[in-house]
Amino acid sequence: MKKGMIKVSDSFERIVHWCMAISCIILMISGLGMMFHSFNFIAIPVGGLKNLKLIHNFTGLVFIPSLLFAILIWWKEAGIFRFPEDLEWIKVAGGYLWHVDKVPETGKYNPGQKAFFWAVAFFGVVMIVTGLIMWFPLGFPVKLVRWMYTLHALGFFVIFSFFFVHLYLGTVGVPGSVSAILTGWVTRSWAEKQCPKWLKEMEESGKLEVSE
Amino acid sequence: MSEKIKLCDLSKCTGCRGCQLACKQWNQLPAKQTVNYGTYQNPPDLQPNTWNVIRFQEISENGAVDWLFRHDACMHCTDAACVKVCPSGALYHTKYGTVALDSAKCIGCKECVFACPFEVPRYDPETDKVIKCDMCYSRIDNAMQPACVKACPTGALRFGDKKEMLQIAYARAKELGGDASVYGDTFVDGTHMIYVLPRKAAVYDRLPEKPRVPFSVIAWKDWLKPLSLLAAGGVVGGAFLHYIIHGPKDTSGGGDQASREGGE
Ligand code: HEM
Ligand code: SF4
Ligand code: SF4
Ligand code: SF4
Repeated sequence: MKKGMIKVSDSFERIVHWCMAISCIILMISGLGMMFHSFNFIAIPVGGLKNLKLIHNFTGLVFIPSLLFAILIWWKEAGIFRFPEDLEWIKVAGGYLWHVDKVPETGKYNPGQKAFFWAVAFFGVVMIVTGLIMWFPLGFPVKLVRWMYTLHALGFFVIFSFFFVHLYLGTVGVPGSVSAILTGWVTRSWAEKQCPKWLKEMEESGKLEVSE
Repeated sequence: MSEKIKLCDLSKCTGCRGCQLACKQWNQLPAKQTVNYGTYQNPPDLQPNTWNVIRFQEISENGAVDWLFRHDACMHCTDAACVKVCPSGALYHTKYGTVALDSAKCIGCKECVFACPFEVPRYDPETDKVIKCDMCYSRIDNAMQPACVKACPTGALRFGDKKEMLQIAYARAKELGGDASVYGDTFVDGTHMIYVLPRKAAVYDRLPEKPRVPFSVIAWKDWLKPLSLLAAGGVVGGAFLHYIIHGPKDTSGGGDQASREGGE
């Protein structure tokens, strides 16, 4: 590895991230195959809609612990908005939409990422609760079960939208980000742009891990 | 092909249950052992192997006791909530306007069970599929009457062209007078089983007064589905436009950070 790289994630974080990401992608694709008749063809490679349904349901069981660990890992850094810097950042949309001379410095995660955290945490739990009831609906009140489908579709709408923005900004939109969650190491200039305040705090406390 | 209707005139029903039995016979649905729970109604409800059931109901009015019998089965809605939600296309409208079910396609997801405003479809754990009355599609498509209609000895059940059945129904309701009414043609865009009810709809056990496709189903299927497609297009298109107009973020370390070493 090159000298001077900065460590931003540990292996446990990366494992949880990918368990959640892969299960979520499988859930979205298999869900799409059930949601629209025009996407029923997604079931062809797995041998029919019944199998797609089972894949969806059992992948849900992988998603449940992944989400719970993700919330435990990230709620402190990504779940709490810090003022005033987060508000300043929001006012200029983090410099993502128009040119900003100096983007306000935020901690490890910016308010956009915090919004993503909350969307996934909240609607992830919604997906789990509604999904489990939809999987085993018999015995629950009819009116309750009816709304589970509606909420599950709402959650899909929110999670898919945020997911794609996350995918874009985590790859081509902000070059150099993928390595943060693949190897855990990023360049110093990336860290200076993405989490300047965190970088300073880590350096001051002497906790920053830099490659030799 | 013209729409067909099964007309069920409750004023003529004697509760003989011939229809219930004929349905079992034609569709090969042997009965199971049941227990007496204090009423003549048997089995207690629609079941995977009972697609129509005569509901027995005792009511007392001004000191007099009256018996109500209601042939309860799928209503074959035009705006059918079950067809709307079925992800596999197992439930479908036939050319007669009735709602049939292609069992081979059913994945047992039970979505239809909870969507139906009449709570008709039944899940069978043995086959892991859902089943309901299909208006004897195999019979009507061969110019025969549904088995239940064929068996009915009193003429309470009739089957025929929509227009003719509606005429008969309205004439009969008028003839009965009082609270008598026609039930079925005015909601969910018209059902293909209609009742002539001698009494107000509210009197009958488990018969919804104003059935409609549940609001949750409309929000889910008519709003959220197109909305999620719109959102998908929005975020994909938005990301692309962002890339070509605003461009990706420069994380390479320009400006006053240019001299910093590491990772270049
Ligand atoms: C990121 C999380 C998830 C996404 C994006 C997702 C997406 C979807 C979508 C799009 C549908 C089709 C809905 C429709 O027809 O309108 C669906 C159906 C369903 N989902 Fe999920 N889902 C997720 C998590 C879960 C979980 C955790 C479970 C439970 C273990 C679950 C269980 C179900 C069930 C039971 C259905 C109905 C179809 C069936 O019976 O299998 N889902 N999901
Ligand atoms: S009564 Fe229920 S099962 Fe029958 S067509 Fe209407 S919605 Fe479907
Ligand atoms: S249980 Fe079968 S018939 Fe009912 S909605 Fe699911 S696939 Fe369709
Ligand atoms: S129409 Fe056929 S399937 Fe439906 S209740 Fe009558 S006999 Fe049974």
